[in-house]
Amino acid sequence: MSSLTHTLLPMLLQGLRLTILIAVLGIVFAFAIGSVAGYALQSKSKIARGVSFIYIWIIRGTPLVVQALYIYYVLPLFMPFLELSSMAAGVVVISINSGAFIAEIVRGALQGVDGGQKETGASLGMTNFQILIHLVIPPAFRAVIPALFNQFIIALKDTSLLTIIVVNEMTQMAMRYSSLNFRYIEAYTALAVFYLVLISVLVLIQKFVERKLGVNAPVKPKLKNLTAKLKLKAK
Amino acid sequence: MANEVISTEQNFLRVRNLCKSFDALKVLDNVSTDIHLGEVTCVLGPSGAGKSTFLRCLNRLETPESGEIICFGKNTLTRDYDIRSLREEVGMVFQQFNLFPLKTVLSNVMLAPVVVKKIKKAEARELAMSELEKVGLAEKANSLPGTLSGGQKQRVAIARSLAMKPKLMLFDEPTSALDPELVSDVLDVMKQLARDGMTMVVVTHEMGFAREVADRILFMADGKIIEDDAPDVFFDSPRTERARAFVEKML
Repeated sequence: MSSLTHTLLPMLLQGLRLTILIAVLGIVFAFAIGSVAGYALQSKSKIARGVSFIYIWIIRGTPLVVQALYIYYVLPLFMPFLELSSMAAGVVVISINSGAFIAEIVRGALQGVDGGQKETGASLGMTNFQILIHLVIPPAFRAVIPALFNQFIIALKDTSLLTIIVVNEMTQMAMRYSSLNFRYIEAYTALAVFYLVLISVLVLIQKFVERKLGVNAPVKPKLKNLTAKLKLKAK
Repeated sequence: MANEVISTEQNFLRVRNLCKSFDALKVLDNVSTDIHLGEVTCVLGPSGAGKSTFLRCLNRLETPESGEIICFGKNTLTRDYDIRSLREEVGMVFQQFNLFPLKTVLSNVMLAPVVVKKIKKAEARELAMSELEKVGLAEKANSLPGTLSGGQKQRVAIARSLAMKPKLMLFDEPTSALDPELVSDVLDVMKQLARDGMTMVVVTHEMGFAREVADRILFMADGKIIEDDAPDVFFDSPRTERARAFVEKML
């Protein structure tokens, strides 16, 4: 038992830091990349659509492990300035990989917004940008939440594949530990539990966001409007 | 700037030789007419006549293939015409209401004044409340559209357009999606608007409303305006066979 508490747990906790760091950065960048690429996919510009399409085609058409190997080992051969630390390469891989899947999610949500809403905005004199900000993004964002968090969970799990480019995240640490003393059961059970806890946290965040936005429930008026209501009664 | 010009002229819009096709179907076929300030114009006709398309061309939600819509010497259909400045002056009410479902009734009405006209929020709130009072829905200010009846939704949609202080209101079959018992609430609001002197173009199947409120009837069929009459002329002695058949069927 002592090797578990003295060696395995510290190792896993050390790996946990990297796992969380890469996952959080990866998810943030992936969301940014995916939003832009997803918007481009349904935009009027042929060039934007084309670029976005090719990006998604390549990323969805190759395994994450291959992408990691390519970015870590191959790209620096052509472009030495792209020689990244394994951790930085890991963030890049997670970002561009998840970004491609998020792009498709975002495109679907944007296209799902009722055209009548946009038309109404236009008839009120709003610019396309105002329509996007006030009338398209709010419903699209609500629609996108479940699929988006699904992708976040996948991104978090995918960090374990980065062990292929020797990122010292949790899986790498568990493998290293078990290769020293062959205690597979405790190493990989603890590893699994760590992932389960991490993903449970993500699920809780999802529930919180959904409740905040009222995704599953009929929307309730916000509290700040109460003042207007009170004024009205006073009249 | 455009405001001042618009308020002094009598001819709001001059429509000339408007043509529009959807694929092979000719929806508007050389439509020409004028929209006068202060008048209520009802556009009647069988379905597929091009009434809605005609209406939607007036604020360029639909772009005609050829023709002109002149608003004070400027053709609104040219590329460099600032269509948004016209849309600020031309309100539109849709058959499907199109309320913004995530926003409260009050926010629905406030949005365009705040975002487009950059009015201060407190001011916009007052403006919105007074428009909601006009349509009799002030007490619903903090409700969400999902909790309203169809008639209430449409009245909110009217208030939302009025909050932009338009010079012209377009109504695209405003009561066609309503349960019959809710129609009169919406029509009453529209009648009040007409009495207040609002310029309106109304595509409708409500013959009673058209007869009572309209200053002028445009009767459309097959993409053409084939009658342009005062309501009593149109309903009592239509000039064309087409219109006579239509009136007989509808009354």
